[in-house]
Amino acid sequence: MRLGEPLYRPFVPIALANGDQTTFQLTGLIDTGADSVLASDYLADQLGIDLDDHDGETILGVGGHVAAVRYKTIGIRLYPKGEDEPCIEWQAPVGFIPNWHSYGFVLLGSVGFLDQFTVTASRFAQAVAVEHRDAFDDRFGPVPVS
Amino acid sequence: MEPIRTDFKGYEGKYVALDSRTGKIVIAAEDLESLFEQAKGRDHIVLGGRVPFADEPIPVGLG
Repeated sequence: MRLGEPLYRPFVPIALANGDQTTFQLTGLIDTGADSVLASDYLADQLGIDLDDHDGETILGVGGHVAAVRYKTIGIRLYPKGEDEPCIEWQAPVGFIPNWHSYGFVLLGSVGFLDQFTVTASRFAQAVAVEHRDAFDDRFGPVPVS
Repeated sequence: MEPIRTDFKGYEGKYVALDSRTGKIVIAAEDLESLFEQAKGRDHIVLGGRVPFADEPIPVGLG
């Protein structure tokens, strides 16, 4: 509860995959304010990823601290209908944040998630819908992109 | 698919895992390492994070 209202957060079930290593299913928080997919470096350890061999590095302010985030392109799996149904998997750069975890372990941001799907969130409905990315154009018509 | 709405009340400060079919909390651990350890070998598990206290500051942005 905050300000007398219950909190609802748009979590979806995901997993990260690196070769034959896969995490447990995790709660991924859909975050339109995040520029990319970000995860706890604890998961990099679980996946056997050597972050010294990273694909890129950037400095971010996270949770009141400045952290060097190191990126590695790995598999992300989304379980749209539960774990017993086929998952959707794609490759994307995931930024691993040292010594970070919060209410979930993964933030699903712009590059790597919101470029893959059309996401509709409604507190009124208390639900989030993740659809094929063409769903946006189907609904609103194509928008010119630069 | 019906959305799952888990009630985290009573688990503040704990690291939790949910049953992926029901959303019920099935593991409440004191720390991250213990959460992963307890989850090993269990089916239908989704690992969440740490449940915040109601009066705990929430960082703006990437908490």
